[in-house]
Amino acid sequence: MIEAIGLCKQFERSVKKGRRTVKETFLAVDHVSLQARPGEIIGILGPNGAGKTTLLRMLGMLMTPTGGEVRLTLQGEPDLTMPNGGVIESETAKKAAIGYLSGNTKLYPRFSIREYLRFLGELYGLDRRQIEERTAEISRVLDMEPFLDNRIEKLSTGQTQRASIARCLMADPQIYILDEPTLGLDILSADAIIHFMKEQKERGKTVLYSTHYLEEAQFLCDRVYMICDGRIVAQGTPRELLAQTGTESLREAFHQIYDMQTEAGKEQSVTPGERIDGKASPGRDTGSRGDNENREKGGASA
Amino acid sequence: MRQVKTLVRKEMLDILRDKKTLVMMVVVPVLLYPLIIIGMSLAFSYMMQSQESKEHTVGYPVEYQEMVEGLQSLYPKNKAADGDRTDAEDTADAEDTADAGTGEELADLTFVPAKAGEEDCVKETTDAWLEISRAENGAWHVTVQYTSSNESSAYTSEALSDLLGEYSDRLLAENLRAQGLDEEFLHPVVCEEEDLTPASESFGMDIGGSIGMILIVTILLGAVYPAIDATAGEKERGTLETLLTLPVTNFQMILSKYISVAFFACVTAVLSLLSLGGSVLFLMFGLSPELADQMQGFSFAALLRQLPLLVVTLIVTALLITALCMCFCVFARSFKEANNYVTPVLFVVMLASMTAMLPSTRLDYRTVLIPVVNVSLMVKQIIAQQFDAGLVGMTILVNFGYSVVIVWILARMYNSEDILFSDGFRGLRLFQRRSEIRKGTVPGTGDLVISTALVLLLVLYVGMAVTARSTIAGTVVTELIILAVPVFVVWYMKSDARRLFRLRTPSARACAGGLLLYLGVFVLGLFCSMIAIYLLPESTQNLEGAYAEIVAQPLPILLLLIAVLPAACEEILFRGFLFGGLREHFTAGKREREQAGGIWALVLSALVFAVFHMSLVKLPATFLLGAGFAFIVWKGGSIYVSMALHCLNNALSAAVMKYPEQMGKIFPLLVKEEFTPTELAILLVGGLALAAAGIAILPGKNKKERR
Repeated sequence: MIEAIGLCKQFERSVKKGRRTVKETFLAVDHVSLQARPGEIIGILGPNGAGKTTLLRMLGMLMTPTGGEVRLTLQGEPDLTMPNGGVIESETAKKAAIGYLSGNTKLYPRFSIREYLRFLGELYGLDRRQIEERTAEISRVLDMEPFLDNRIEKLSTGQTQRASIARCLMADPQIYILDEPTLGLDILSADAIIHFMKEQKERGKTVLYSTHYLEEAQFLCDRVYMICDGRIVAQGTPRELLAQTGTESLREAFHQIYDMQTEAGKEQSVTPGERIDGKASPGRDTGSRGDNENREKGGASA
Repeated sequence: MRQVKTLVRKEMLDILRDKKTLVMMVVVPVLLYPLIIIGMSLAFSYMMQSQESKEHTVGYPVEYQEMVEGLQSLYPKNKAADGDRTDAEDTADAEDTADAGTGEELADLTFVPAKAGEEDCVKETTDAWLEISRAENGAWHVTVQYTSSNESSAYTSEALSDLLGEYSDRLLAENLRAQGLDEEFLHPVVCEEEDLTPASESFGMDIGGSIGMILIVTILLGAVYPAIDATAGEKERGTLETLLTLPVTNFQMILSKYISVAFFACVTAVLSLLSLGGSVLFLMFGLSPELADQMQGFSFAALLRQLPLLVVTLIVTALLITALCMCFCVFARSFKEANNYVTPVLFVVMLASMTAMLPSTRLDYRTVLIPVVNVSLMVKQIIAQQFDAGLVGMTILVNFGYSVVIVWILARMYNSEDILFSDGFRGLRLFQRRSEIRKGTVPGTGDLVISTALVLLLVLYVGMAVTARSTIAGTVVTELIILAVPVFVVWYMKSDARRLFRLRTPSARACAGGLLLYLGVFVLGLFCSMIAIYLLPESTQNLEGAYAEIVAQPLPILLLLIAVLPAACEEILFRGFLFGGLREHFTAGKREREQAGGIWALVLSALVFAVFHMSLVKLPATFLLGAGFAFIVWKGGSIYVSMALHCLNNALSAAVMKYPEQMGKIFPLLVKEEFTPTELAILLVGGLALAAAGIAILPGKNKKERR
């Protein structure tokens, strides 16, 4: 099980104040607490810049939180019969228990898949026989046998994506963290990823993944967390969220929740309509300007 | 350890499979060096031979036929030069003489009588022209006119010098004989030198410096590329994030990269040295037997005995240089960026590696501490086979120590987040279009470095050039440059000058604290100068001469030139622009970094200020003064205080220069040149007390600063 307990990440950004540009800190992830249990697929949803990637990077041990903690337990619940209640303490053990996959986790282009898997196997402490067995099994499952000895730089996008999944499978981790895994993939490759996630769920693994594709999340996820400006603004099973918002699809639910948030944000904000980096935020002042333009155009055509 | 082994294997495979690495590691050393060295020398000898076989004509005034005949008689078969003869016949003769062959080979020259040959020479129809005159006592005066830009002409001129020298010797011998004297008459004392250094040593000293340099440079070239590839390259390819998700610690990751890069640096260096050595030996024994004679006494067998030591040196040097390169590359986001960061390192290391080529540089207990320089000196002494085992051991330990420290810092300081998601060094904004720069932009570190370097260059070239004509104009121009560059940059970048330069009215407390701190720093500076003069007596400079022209001016102009102008301009550059800008970046708007960032900025700006004054003896004192002024601006919140104190400081020295006696009576401390140890101790304690009092009084933070 993986748990985020009051997780925070503070960054710095330039803010225009009158004629001056000053630096100020802000929370990209703001006291986020979540839980992902074995056999669950958890979806993290949110617009661009909401803090999804930062959150997943902290959960994947790539970033150090500025507040809160990430707790990993070997079992579903803390087990008092295990040393330390089954809670994993060391950073390398945590990393070994997590399979992290994102658009930024590229594979060594100058290696063949077989060489790469061998390298991973050695790092995960497998012996030669285990490595060979697991490589054979993974390549059979993912249908990679024909290009197992090709250099990764020579593979197609779909083949590379399968190699990336193979990378995660090699360690056979308890928890999978996938940052927008289907982004920019064709239907076949995206389906392969979805199939992979379902399969891991059936094997009792924890899958945590972020996505923009709400239809995909609706049928795949057991629970979803909606994130806006670094905070969790809604959570529950897709069914619960639909019931809460009285909508029929997760997409509609998302729009409703997001609009409520931006309204609330407008009321709280001292300088409405102006985002700190000088760019207008979506749905704020540009939105109204776009509306005016549309109205003008609409008027002309009518 | 198992993880490191796996990682090292992965790094090596990754580097080896990169074509560019292989080019740098194998093609350049193994093919290019021999090609360049052997090819160049073949081309050179071909050019020499073609010059030798070519016909060279020398014009001379017809009336000095006698002289030319004398010259021609030096050739074994007399070559009668006749004005009526054609060039073709002359050439035939020249060939004859060449065939006859002379003991001391004289170049083939064809002498052509002419009325005025200078023009021919310039037009390159003849290779040289002899301007001949004869004194009443019969002495010849010959001027060889030639054009150095023309190879054939230059060659002819050299050949003529040899010929004329020989002719002169012959005439001298004849004259002596006519007087019944022998040649010893001219040389009552014959002086000869005999170098008792074993041939191995002198040869070793001669080439050892170059070998040290070649060793360091080849390691450097071998290390740079894999270092960039393993750090910035990995980041650029996007594989670093993947690597960081794996169960490896930062230390294991950095260590494995480090070991792999150092290994490749060693391999490249060994390949380069073998190929360079092979090429040079081929040249020596194949093409130039004289060179081989020179090094006959040099014992390669003895050198082979030192081979294990040289190998250890190679490894330790590779470890150090790799650490240095990786230190810079690790910040870069891309290959290109890493290249930019590492280029200055390349230059510095190359310069340091040339130390051993300077005469009379030796490895001693001071130089042993300077990285790279110590290796370069050590290799020289190992090759010359005269080294102190203690110093050599210390060099190896010192470099190994530096490497360990650098790698340790690398692994400690940069957690995965900094390596992965850092912005790299803050970029240059100076070359952006002004219209694209936002108001209130603070110059980045790159802008600060470039601007300061520009000031230094302008001061060196423009300032010095004007100073050479007039000291007064030079001083004014120098100070204006110092002011103009930061002001321009601040205008261009639309920075908030009031805030950056701290152009604010000071509080009374800041003034009082500043004055006390200045006095303390001044006294401490005096103490440091005394120590510096004691340690480096030879470098004491007498500056009064240089300022004579200024000191002669009336007092108001003197004060304006030496006190007011430098105070205003230098404070703007060093305290306003440099210290202000650096502080802004080191603190990066974070309150917890306020103290540490301020201190870094203070030390760096004071160091630049001290170096700017270009005096070794004054360096500690100027550094202290710079640090003191920066502290006053920092804590006092106003640059006007440091300007006033800088002005006071310079006014005092101006007054001492103009009225040394009167000033000596009023302020004996200012003119005192020697101090007893007790007085020095009083200076130290007094200075520290005053400075501490100043620091205590200075406000912690200006109220206006609190936003």
